[in-house]
Amino acid sequence: MDKLSIVQRGLLALVAGLGSVTAVIADTADTGPVPAIKFDKAKAELGKRLFFDKRISGDAAISCASCHVPENGFAHPDALSPGYPGNGHFRNSPTLINAASKKIWLHDGRLGTNLNDVTREMITEDYIMNMDMRIMQERLKQDPVYVEMFKKAKMGEPSNGGARNAIPEFLKTLTSRNAPFDTGNMSDAAKRGEQLFKGKAGCLACHNGPLLSDGKYHNLGVPENLDVFRDPLNHQTFIAYNNFQGIPNFMNLKRDLGVFVQDKSVAGAEKRKGAFMTPTLRELKYTAPYMHNGTIGTLRAVVDFYDRGGGKDPHKDSALKPLKLTNSEKSDLVAFLEALSGDPLTGKAFVWSEPYPEEYPVIADWRKARN
Amino acid sequence: MNKRDIRFRQILSACLCLVATTVMGAAAWAQSASPPPLAPLGDPPIPADNQQTAAKVELGKLLFFDPRLGGDASVACGTCHEPSQGWAFSEDLSRGYPGTVHWRNSQTIVNSAYYGKLFWAGSSRSLEAQARSAAKGGVAGNGEDDIMEARLALIPEYRKRFREVFGDEWPTIMNAWKAIAAFERAELIQKDTPLDRYLQGDRSALSEQQIRGKAIFEGKANCIACHNGALASDEKFHNIGVPYAQRWEEDALAQITFRFEQYAKGVTEKMYREIKDDAGLYYRTKNAWDKGKFRTPSLRYTAYTAPYMHNGTFFTMEEVVDFYDRGGVAEDGRTTDFSETKSALIKPLGLTDEEKEDLVAFLEAFSGEEILMDKPRLPEYAPLFSEADIMSE
Repeated sequence: MDKLSIVQRGLLALVAGLGSVTAVIADTADTGPVPAIKFDKAKAELGKRLFFDKRISGDAAISCASCHVPENGFAHPDALSPGYPGNGHFRNSPTLINAASKKIWLHDGRLGTNLNDVTREMITEDYIMNMDMRIMQERLKQDPVYVEMFKKAKMGEPSNGGARNAIPEFLKTLTSRNAPFDTGNMSDAAKRGEQLFKGKAGCLACHNGPLLSDGKYHNLGVPENLDVFRDPLNHQTFIAYNNFQGIPNFMNLKRDLGVFVQDKSVAGAEKRKGAFMTPTLRELKYTAPYMHNGTIGTLRAVVDFYDRGGGKDPHKDSALKPLKLTNSEKSDLVAFLEALSGDPLTGKAFVWSEPYPEEYPVIADWRKARN
Repeated sequence: MNKRDIRFRQILSACLCLVATTVMGAAAWAQSASPPPLAPLGDPPIPADNQQTAAKVELGKLLFFDPRLGGDASVACGTCHEPSQGWAFSEDLSRGYPGTVHWRNSQTIVNSAYYGKLFWAGSSRSLEAQARSAAKGGVAGNGEDDIMEARLALIPEYRKRFREVFGDEWPTIMNAWKAIAAFERAELIQKDTPLDRYLQGDRSALSEQQIRGKAIFEGKANCIACHNGALASDEKFHNIGVPYAQRWEEDALAQITFRFEQYAKGVTEKMYREIKDDAGLYYRTKNAWDKGKFRTPSLRYTAYTAPYMHNGTFFTMEEVVDFYDRGGVAEDGRTTDFSETKSALIKPLGLTDEEKEDLVAFLEAFSGEEILMDKPRLPEYAPLFSEADIMSE
């Protein structure tokens, strides 16, 4: 950022501050379009094939796209993600659109390094894809299409490391585009909603920047999704996760602790219980239901939730207060939220459409072939 | 030490030798040079930290057949150790986890309680450790401790039984392996075969042909060199010349698993690129002289456990006998890729057709009645918390 723009931003903040208490943090002027990311075409194409390939899960039954469905904004329409066969899950599948523009991933923000690590975590976690990546590598090597694609992407022969680079490269292609908010084609209702978003409703306090997320953690008092506990297949993943995260008394736990799992010993850790990463507001049109556990089905219901001042929790963010929005204000706000969604990313550019082979071809003259 | 002391010790040692010889007798001396004889099977050893109880055995039986002790809850221990297939799997290579095929033959677990070394390369030292490794291996059960333990905790019947049997507040996965081992030690034992009865003095237990076969087993064919003692296994490692699995040439999934195993077992890059046969014990020791060596399997219960060898390459006992008779060479001339480590004990036997038939007839005496049992009805999941519990939170 150059000096001039800092001055400009300062002025903006000052001006905004005169009008509203909550808008001092930023303005929607900072939010606009998510910059496209340069990507390597061959590598991204390889990543796309991997993303839609069921053979990169343990029992070859699910792909990344099983829980991140293109038609659903690369999220999943169920409140709780389906999880690996034999299991359920305890959180909502988040959109992967713009995931490559983020710095921290997952609802609890437990990965803050890079998408390569996120990819590894998703593929190997036992209730997600349960894949021994050494087997994955050998499956890739058995498919001549992959052998060719890895070569074309200048990644040598198929490998774990290569797959973990290629999938994030594909994710770079999933950038929002042509949202009315970005193109300036918003309806009057959406424009009124934008003013509420910045002003009376105070959404901008946390939903700011190009992704409309501050990348921080907040506790809104979102109620638990009780299906986590009603369905043992979901509950078992919740137990396994909390066990792995070293949460005491995880067997009796009835609350998703969110960001707390990251560091249980820091000062004030207790207060972080139940806080989750602010999600992006982009592509909401496609990604219902909402919240980390999918408990709110529509955008109108989300607005109602905030209007009530959020839910109940001892550690709830003090910024949440009843908003006293009128019905028409709520509709305007929803119209604005919808205007944050762009073109669906469902075409051939984003979805691998060629069929996968039903069986791997046998390596001919195997005795003489180099492994 | 002064000279007088040395002399005194020599005298003492000579006396001790004399006493020992008298007490132990000539047979004992001979035994140190020749293999232990075949013997009736006694009771299996029970580890001090896993005593048998009826409730533990019953729990172990449930767990043995419960596919929730695996990755996607579709394969149980009993899937690759199927009761109706000799508590083994009747294909050359075990079926493996969904989406994979295994790379070795599934061994029977009947009488596995007597082994000190489990798996073909002897990588586990107890049934408990074997169960754990099988449930977790990527081409076997592909389960993880945390999720398997969580599943057990959400099955009320298991919570109750683990509490009763082990005193667990919540079922622990290590105790699941203990219960399965207890089940195997109690229910999957066979010690009343025709051979056992014969060796206990019932001369009518073996036919004339089988008795002739026994003489060949112990003599001309020298099977006894390795298949000895009550278990008919010396539990040592030998390369007998078994050829590579032809399935590796024909089956893409088998090719994937073969390479995975080389990768997972940490061989050198050069070896990973070039190897085309299972190096057996070598993966554990990384000693060149251990390539292609496998732990001698018991011959008990083999009437039900075809196919044979670590990669199931022979489907009948007749083929096995022919293989040994040719000196560890298959009918098509194939043998191990690791000929440099092949046992000197394996050489052409010059058996006549009649001798082979007698030998095969004797091998049948290592098996009694087929062990079959109904698979138990598995307990069901139920929510851990009541509605009132979760609503009040």
